[in-house]
Amino acid sequence: MLEISRFVFMRFIMAIITLLMVSFIVFSLMELVPANCAVRYLAFKNTQGEQITIADIKAEEVRMGLDKPYVVRWAKWVTDVFVRGDFGISCILRVRVNDLLGTKFWISLGICLTSLLLAYAIAIPVGIYSATTNKPTLNNFLRFFSYLGLAMPNFLLALMIMLISTVLFGDSLTGLFSKEYRDAAWSLARFGDFLAHAWLPVFILGWSATAFALQTVRALISDEYGKLYVTAARARGLFGRQLLWRYPARHALPPIINSLGFDLNRVFNELPIVAVILTLTEAGSLLLESLARSNDQQLAGAIIFMLTASIVGLNFFTDVMLALVDPRIRRGVMGKG
Amino acid sequence: MAETAKTANGGAAVAESTEIGGKSKEAYFTAGQYALIWARFKMNRAAVTAGIILIGLIMMGLTAPFLSPYDPNIAGRDAEYQNGAPQIPKFWDENGFSFRPFLYTLERKRSAATNFRWITDVNKDKRRYVEFFVKGWRFFIVNIDLDLPGEDFDFRLRALPIDYHLFGMDKGRIHLFGTEAAGKDIFSRTMFAIWTSLAVGTIGVFISFVLALIIGGISGYAGGWLDSILQMITDAVRTVPAIPLFMALAAMVPDEWSAETRFFFISIILGLIGWPTLARRIRTHLLTERSQEYVLAARLCGATPGHIIRRHLLPSFSSYIIVDLVISFPYMVLSETALSFIGLGLKDPVNSLGVLLQNVTKVDVLLNYQWYFIPAGFFMALVLAFVFVGDGLRDAADPYSGH
Repeated sequence: MLEISRFVFMRFIMAIITLLMVSFIVFSLMELVPANCAVRYLAFKNTQGEQITIADIKAEEVRMGLDKPYVVRWAKWVTDVFVRGDFGISCILRVRVNDLLGTKFWISLGICLTSLLLAYAIAIPVGIYSATTNKPTLNNFLRFFSYLGLAMPNFLLALMIMLISTVLFGDSLTGLFSKEYRDAAWSLARFGDFLAHAWLPVFILGWSATAFALQTVRALISDEYGKLYVTAARARGLFGRQLLWRYPARHALPPIINSLGFDLNRVFNELPIVAVILTLTEAGSLLLESLARSNDQQLAGAIIFMLTASIVGLNFFTDVMLALVDPRIRRGVMGKG
Repeated sequence: MAETAKTANGGAAVAESTEIGGKSKEAYFTAGQYALIWARFKMNRAAVTAGIILIGLIMMGLTAPFLSPYDPNIAGRDAEYQNGAPQIPKFWDENGFSFRPFLYTLERKRSAATNFRWITDVNKDKRRYVEFFVKGWRFFIVNIDLDLPGEDFDFRLRALPIDYHLFGMDKGRIHLFGTEAAGKDIFSRTMFAIWTSLAVGTIGVFISFVLALIIGGISGYAGGWLDSILQMITDAVRTVPAIPLFMALAAMVPDEWSAETRFFFISIILGLIGWPTLARRIRTHLLTERSQEYVLAARLCGATPGHIIRRHLLPSFSSYIIVDLVISFPYMVLSETALSFIGLGLKDPVNSLGVLLQNVTKVDVLLNYQWYFIPAGFFMALVLAFVFVGDGLRDAADPYSGH
């Protein structure tokens, strides 16, 4: 028991270090974007007809703390985030980032996780079948269908489904809520309405994530399937499903669970694109807005940080789960070889 | 040395399953690793079909200037035929049969009868014929244009012109895939777009490959604390969501950058982000291989670490590396498309598949100009072909497959 808690603690420290490193990368990237926040905000004011001088910019920089060295600002940002969970104030919109993100981030995360679940629900059976079968026709058909999700650009799929539904049902399926629930408080009816809209992004994201998941599952299973312990099991008289689930599938599972966090990363990548087409008002499109259009560093930084934190969190969770099941990994991390 | 070790491995697998070998076992046992992979690959019909399609698409990209009847840029636009539907050459109609494929002549006119709007009439009596190997617009294979500060330093080199194109018309123009809003030929654009997307992918894959080789190689061979640190960095890079990262980087790109600079920048970024997965695979492989006897033997002979990595370890799994490269290629192409789609990658005058796909997202296009979707078909074929060839190569490179 002591061993496990020590492992969890070690892993937790490593997750925090990774998060710090990533936050530094993200912060540095934000810094590379030309013109700082004060300049941009005042430039925006300028378009509203106000006269802006260099002195104004300087004063604004001091007020925002932009005159301090870069590392100091990063340290302050990180402590604010870690200690108080406060992401500061959005540069352009002048609203607290926490209020702006609110539940939007959790909705995005939920959509992505569900998509991932869908992807593996398809990829695991198809991958195992594809790696072990000797019937090429069904195998090729299943693979073709799964890979089509990757090959067909997400936005194209989204557009096509929207078009078909507009023509057939007169509903464009855009957005995440119907008009009457958009600003309502959470209730069972609103949740139902949300589910009625959320299936489409989940389906699109899930389908496109299937291809990579399938490649992983297929590769792992076919690597394991040729190994001697499987032959030995077969020699003992095991066959079919029993053989498959008891031996190669079990060995192939840990690497898949291990890579779940990175798969989540992949799904996050697709989210902004689908969000633009389906006019979803969640974190993905907010990110696109803040980065591509208004260059809002605080907001974008906060979203990327939250995304990364959820990936690191998922990695931490899966590692701990695996270690509980598989003592080899535990030993590997503890350095006992 | 490593080659022979691997071949012996492959040979053992072949001995188990004699049905692969067929007639001459002798040749099979002495065959090299790549000959074995090729033999196994050939048996996979889906992979071979995908391979043929892939080679076809790559050839299309490579010979784009020759295949395209018109300049894919604004210089080659057809002002008379904007947003025009695809023109499919015919061999016969009610006026009779022709050995040479033909199109009808389109006549644009306006008069009081048409309320002074331009209308296009199809004149079925005037046929235009398709010709092959026609002289058309000029493309320079070498076209370097450096715009350095100062007039005297501008450097312009144009050489190796291509004037002849696979097909064209005797009169007027032909647009197999139609034209877009400015009148640019979609067929020509698609050919050039395949070339651009493949080039972006190749540069990206190459950069990530070199990085993965260096980082994964050091990490796997050295092991210990150096390995731990490099693995943490690798994981950190893998954790940063790529598209947001792209977006931040793309925001750095000044608007005045030329299409070519943008293109190289995007490819380099794709490469700089794509390495961790491959680096991890190389590391895992090296970790298992470095404790093998042949490495020990080399070390006892006094070989340097660099020599052992280059001459013994890398060749021992070069086939896996090739497979990984093929598998990661479509993801590079997809990233380019995604980036271009959100408007942060390549932009409109450039012909890349991402740019062409971006053009189909308007409702107007969906309802009226469906031929804009034709490049999407090429894109899907390219990605699918790559994925299937990757799967086939993976199975073929695995000496234990073919149970």
